[in-house]
Amino acid sequence: MRILLIEDDPMIGDGLRAGLTQLGFTVDWFRDGATGFAALASAPYDAVVLDLGLPARDGLDVLAQWRAQGRDEPVLILTARDTLDDRLQGLHGGADDYLCKPFALAEVAARLQALIRRRHGRVTPVLRHGAIALDPAARAVTRAGQIVDLTGREIALLELFMNAPGRVLPRALLEEKLYGWGDEVDSNTIEVYIHHLRRKLGSGVIRTLRGVGYALGDADDCGENAADAGAAS
Amino acid sequence: MMARIQSLRARLMLWLALALAVVWTLASLLAYGAVKNAVGTLFDSQQSLLARQLLSGQVKGVDARLEEPPAPLPSAKRLLAKDARGGIDSDALAFAVFDRDGRMLWNDGAEGHHLTFAPGARGFVNQNEQHGHHAWRVLYMASEDGATIVAVGQEIEHRRDAVRAVVLAQLWPWLAALFALLALTWGVIGAQTRSLRGVARELMQRAADDDTPIAPERVTLEVRPVIEALNALRARTRALIAHTRRFTADAAHELRSPLAALRVQAEVAQLAAHDAAARQHALTQLIGGIDRATRLVEQLLALSRLDPMNALPDAQKLDWPQLLQSALRDAQPAAQANGITLALEEAEAEVAAGASGALPATGNATLLALLLRNLLDNAVRYTPAGGRVTLRRDARGLAVEDDGPGVAPEYLARIHERFFRPPGQSQSGSGLGLSIARRVAELHGLELTLENRAGGGFRAAVRKAR
Repeated sequence: MRILLIEDDPMIGDGLRAGLTQLGFTVDWFRDGATGFAALASAPYDAVVLDLGLPARDGLDVLAQWRAQGRDEPVLILTARDTLDDRLQGLHGGADDYLCKPFALAEVAARLQALIRRRHGRVTPVLRHGAIALDPAARAVTRAGQIVDLTGREIALLELFMNAPGRVLPRALLEEKLYGWGDEVDSNTIEVYIHHLRRKLGSGVIRTLRGVGYALGDADDCGENAADAGAAS
Repeated sequence: MMARIQSLRARLMLWLALALAVVWTLASLLAYGAVKNAVGTLFDSQQSLLARQLLSGQVKGVDARLEEPPAPLPSAKRLLAKDARGGIDSDALAFAVFDRDGRMLWNDGAEGHHLTFAPGARGFVNQNEQHGHHAWRVLYMASEDGATIVAVGQEIEHRRDAVRAVVLAQLWPWLAALFALLALTWGVIGAQTRSLRGVARELMQRAADDDTPIAPERVTLEVRPVIEALNALRARTRALIAHTRRFTADAAHELRSPLAALRVQAEVAQLAAHDAAARQHALTQLIGGIDRATRLVEQLLALSRLDPMNALPDAQKLDWPQLLQSALRDAQPAAQANGITLALEEAEAEVAAGASGALPATGNATLLALLLRNLLDNAVRYTPAGGRVTLRRDARGLAVEDDGPGVAPEYLARIHERFFRPPGQSQSGSGLGLSIARRVAELHGLELTLENRAGGGFRAAVRKAR
């Protein structure tokens, strides 16, 4: 999940980026309203974390203009302005959620997960596909109830597919979702991660559509190799 | 007692009633005098007419030589029917006729019987009440030959009644006018205060944040100054509330941000248990965050100690050159770390003369060091690497100048406010440094002015307060 973080406090911004990355998000951090505003259109972000007292452009102003342009990315406002008026102004201004400083990193992550889940039209936190279950908050994947040992990037990649079942995801989009600004991307990394996923979860978990991209395999394929697939699903 | 009457309406009506009563009394006294004279003249003339009539031929026949005195006058009751008698008062006028020896020859058959003979009396005589008889005014008139004397009397009470009746008669119009006036006053004041009550009702029902002014035209001219003052007060209150709101928002931001930074970095260190590099980075940030919070607490404490002071504690003779040197020395490490040149410029004449110029000769060196540290610290923080910060001392006082970006004009007016920091500082600060510097300057009779320099950069000047 790729997150756009706009925060002018150097220490808070640094902490949020490091922490959210640890929790499985890909984070791009901008320190002022003007560049942050432009950044939203430049990559496929899943959610935005927005501070309000920003240099160059105020956070609410940035938000209002995004909404005016029809951008529907979920926005979580994170600010030290905590009066009811401020919160109402933020929510009426187009924000989807509002969190006051100081905050718990885990709560920021949980609220972002919830916003992203809602955006995909889901209500349950755990993603399921056949015998495979992915818990975005715990960053854990099970297959037929057994924990499968996946790396952070592998889970992030699987999460992208499970969030869009039935959709074909081009390789370029997968790269954009997995890597933030300044991350080095090897030309074949996506293939390597998909190879790992197939090895650990069964070859049917991801289908390759030549020249188009990748998609999640049939739910049946994902349960076939498991002895107790019926019980798990 | 008047002070207790709160209502304008009641007060006005009471005063009107009192004033009318006084005017009526005065008018009545004047009228009483005038009516008394007029009635006196009228009745005196009437008495004299009757006396002369009695002395004329008809009465001459009443003679001492007559054996039988003539019969008294027939009663009016016998001569006139009851409904034709008009307002006759048979006691109002009486007469008696005497001979020169005082024998009563004739009278009117009623009160005239009581009239007494006074041998030498001629003209009007007031007779006091005596022997159960009322006071009378009697006219004694003798015939030319002196043989017949006529007395025509009138009860004085009768005259008084006439005067009283005339004077009292005008009381009723006065009373009617009084009540009409009071009713009119009541109505007019009610109509005038209705608009005021309307304004009051509207103010009561207003939302607290509705700050549209009240149109002064809605009330009468006399009350307008109150409404205008009320509008002005609302404007001032609004400005104060806005200021307080800004202050709490700024304070919340400045107090919460270091805590938020500490918390997030601590959580990152916890999460990165298996990533040594990430953990080390987070811990370094955490220590930086603690330094930042410590500085904020120190600044808050400094300000809370400065705030209640109204006189300078421990004022001593100041060694300014030494003070400036030492402040510069303290700022040197931070300046060096940021690649900034620090310089001291002193006007030659000042230093040679050893004069302090606009700066006070005595003061508190510790507080002044705090002032200099805050100004230099600010300048060093907000000047980019390669820049220059100058501590200047001249005849006008001292100034800290830098060649940094300065402060955006829209924030210049607010940078002295506590906790206010122009948004987007890459530097952490407490937002209190300038408040501290300003407070120390005030305690020394100095003034801190903050401005952008004409050639670029920022200047914080400490001058003698005007």
